[in-house]
Amino acid sequence: MICSIIVRNKGSFRHIAAFGLLILLIANILETYGKDFFHVNTMQLLQFDRFGFLFNSIALGATLIYVLLTGKEIEKSGKYAAEYFTLIFFVLCGIFILSAYDNLLMLFLGIEIMSIPLYILTGSDKRNLKSNEAALKYFLMGAFSTGLMLMGIALMYGGTGTFQLEVQRISVGMYKGVSFLEITGLLFLMVAMAFKVSAAPFHFWTPDVYDGAPAVFTSFMATIVKAAAFVAFIKLCDVRMTATLGAIDWKLLFALIIVFTLLIGNITAVFQQSVKRMLAYSSIAQAGFMLFALFNVNDVAKEGLLLYTAAYSLATIGIFAILVKMKDYTFEGYNGLAKTQPVLAATNTVFLLSLAGIPLTAGFFAKYYMLAAVVKTGSYIWLVVVGVLFAAVSVYYYFRVIQAMYFRNGNAATETITFSFKTGLIILAAIIILIGILPQVLLNWFYF
Amino acid sequence: MTVMQHVWIVLGVLFVLLNIGAGLIWVERRMLALWQDRLGPNRAGPLGILIVLADTLKLFFKEDWVPPFADKWVFIIAPAIVVASVLMSFVVIPFAPGIVVADLNVGLLFFLAMSSIGVYSIVLGGWASNNKYALLGALRGASQMIAYEVFMGLSLMGVVMMTGSFKLTDIVEAQRDMWFFIKQPIGLVIFFIAGIAETHRLPFDIPEAESELIAGYHAEYSGMKFGMFFIGEYLGITLISAMTATIFFGGWLGPEFLPGWVWFFTKTFAFILFFILLRASLPRPRYDQLMEYGWKILLPLVLANVMITGAVLLWLKG
Amino acid sequence: MTASEIIFWFLSVLALFSAIMVLISRNPVHSVLWLIVVFFAISGHYILLNAQFLAIVNLIVYAGAIMVLFLFVIMLMNLNTETEPQRNTWLKVIGVISGGLLLTVMVSAARSAGELSNKTALIGAGDIGLIQNLGKVLFNQYVVPFEITSVLFLSAMVGAVVIGKKD
Repeated sequence: MICSIIVRNKGSFRHIAAFGLLILLIANILETYGKDFFHVNTMQLLQFDRFGFLFNSIALGATLIYVLLTGKEIEKSGKYAAEYFTLIFFVLCGIFILSAYDNLLMLFLGIEIMSIPLYILTGSDKRNLKSNEAALKYFLMGAFSTGLMLMGIALMYGGTGTFQLEVQRISVGMYKGVSFLEITGLLFLMVAMAFKVSAAPFHFWTPDVYDGAPAVFTSFMATIVKAAAFVAFIKLCDVRMTATLGAIDWKLLFALIIVFTLLIGNITAVFQQSVKRMLAYSSIAQAGFMLFALFNVNDVAKEGLLLYTAAYSLATIGIFAILVKMKDYTFEGYNGLAKTQPVLAATNTVFLLSLAGIPLTAGFFAKYYMLAAVVKTGSYIWLVVVGVLFAAVSVYYYFRVIQAMYFRNGNAATETITFSFKTGLIILAAIIILIGILPQVLLNWFYF
Repeated sequence: MTVMQHVWIVLGVLFVLLNIGAGLIWVERRMLALWQDRLGPNRAGPLGILIVLADTLKLFFKEDWVPPFADKWVFIIAPAIVVASVLMSFVVIPFAPGIVVADLNVGLLFFLAMSSIGVYSIVLGGWASNNKYALLGALRGASQMIAYEVFMGLSLMGVVMMTGSFKLTDIVEAQRDMWFFIKQPIGLVIFFIAGIAETHRLPFDIPEAESELIAGYHAEYSGMKFGMFFIGEYLGITLISAMTATIFFGGWLGPEFLPGWVWFFTKTFAFILFFILLRASLPRPRYDQLMEYGWKILLPLVLANVMITGAVLLWLKG
Repeated sequence: MTASEIIFWFLSVLALFSAIMVLISRNPVHSVLWLIVVFFAISGHYILLNAQFLAIVNLIVYAGAIMVLFLFVIMLMNLNTETEPQRNTWLKVIGVISGGLLLTVMVSAARSAGELSNKTALIGAGDIGLIQNLGKVLFNQYVVPFEITSVLFLSAMVGAVVIGKKD
């Protein structure tokens, strides 16, 4: 498994990259059903389970679509196209580690392998001051959160004497085997992870970075990478935080974070003038919804997270693919797109509806599962109400784009659109609607 | 060993080293004169040997001046660092069986750590002087020493792999049958080149380069502070020579008719002379040539050396 | 107090004092110098814990290489107090308050945790820090993270080349 990732890192150009992704995807799906290609003894540091494999498949599929749709833009965004693809593969390597880690050391390595190429990709537009600023900000904040994470891991090691995720607990002291050091470490770790998934109040880097980075890379960062951070987070919650519930009320903490994230993401998104910046804030808001999965980790939450990953990633990749073709990133730039490019406008509408969580699109079931996971706990029903309210708010700013495309007069300038690009978008929109009607298509894999 | 014995070893080593450092002033100038067909110092004392005393006295009585534009504390600390770090390195060197200040089991790494600390004296001295020539010297010194430190560390790894220990006494003992310079010729050559660069002696004295940078990083220094840089350089030569003798030429080992420490000092002295001979005969390369030589030739070579040594060791083990 | 306790307290005070000096020094070069002192103090702690390899590597890598490069860059940038941007007073106040709150919570939590009282680190005991044992652990149990770290470095290297090359 790991070997194949490393070997594939040499993928150079668009087609090779796409081909490599395809092979990886096939290998991954086969491996999900128990066919081993390589057997690496990882000393219980990595543990590949069904959930991780399925997530890998989704991540790979999304990346494949991403490369097919926007590969040309990646090549255009700088002189070192081959290196950009390589960096994307490195990020994927980090994501695979994150979906399978069973040891805090691996968590750290995975997060780092995922983050470092991203700093570079953010700053890949070297002549653009905004891109440089974004890269520097991202790097400094990211380095700081890494420091916190290491501190947290060190404290947790001090508290439990192991890096392993599962801990044999011996009862010492007053906290039923949960050490004070472990709690503090977990708190630090939570802050660092919240930073990576851009949950409030650690979201300040997100708008600037997503806005400054070249749009192609933003779409990668906002979707697949973010989802991977969530998967790492959910594993952490699943094992460590549930085990320490007796000592600290994680639920209340998460409830506060969720409300804050939804509030800041949605309200700020309403006031944005640029679609790209609006999407950055909306990604904070979507992170708020994904946090529902962490609130109470159960099977529904895990299914929901997978579904959410798929729905959100596909839709966002589609929106960004259209965005990079636009000449003007403001709402005015979309005026009258329906007349000049009907296919683009129609597919964009599907993606936006999915993000807003309208029924018949993938986003609806994704949000439904998330909220259902909380309802299952019985308490904290107010949180569900808050979630629904903010989902309603989000409809407003997503519809602003649709309104601009269909009901405003204007001449939306785009770059030349090829036929294959249009076909790709239509297929993507079809997948989203398919998942929206039959979510079991995806979820059945979970129970194979 | 009693506490007093330790104290005597420490004091003895310190005494011998400082005298060697001072005595090298005379040795170097006489030898240079000999090789370059000149007279050299010949007035004070027999063969001019009292030049050592005269020079030292002169340094002590010069005005100890701190330029008003300099960063005072850093300016003062910088020369102390070089002497301190080099003297610290001698802690791990076994002069003879049983005569070693501290036989650490990470001895070799300790030596590398101390030699990397030595960079600070150049960097800080050059920066604190607030003088552009000094700053240029400091920058060159920093990049040169950082680069060559890498090769120095890697060149020793072959020996470490063969011995299986970082302890210097173990390394010496492992050479009872055959000195390591036969098994590790590339390691020896690269270590010595890196050693010259680390002590920034000619031909690699780019940080000071009189003809380009006046005196480089110590352009603003005078009196005993300059003296510290001066003695630090000679101690550095002694250190690299002693390390070469220990690691590659069997340290105190030698035919039985002479005691160990005599063998050790003979070997060390031979390398010191070689250092001086290099100064007498080789021109200075350009700065970029030095860096290119390091990264493009020495690094691949030394990595190949490590790899081949490891492979051969594994192969011999079966 | 035993000798190692005295050394422990000395090193701790030194480390904390220098860490504070790193923050409050006006001159960035002085900050770097204090940071080097911090590394030395930490290395001293490692030696107290009988982790010699870690101590020495800490010196070689951090004090010996990374900090020199820091100095290198700072010297080239020629930073001084005049070019330092003015910070918002409110931000400072808020920062101090939130930092102070965090400190208070941590300290009070640590004080109330019964498990920590009457416990000191094992000093000079344990041999996992010795170079031989460390090597065995690193290349047996932890060989996977060790290898994966090389992927991390490779990615960082590719990134550095991409960023560093002229456009």
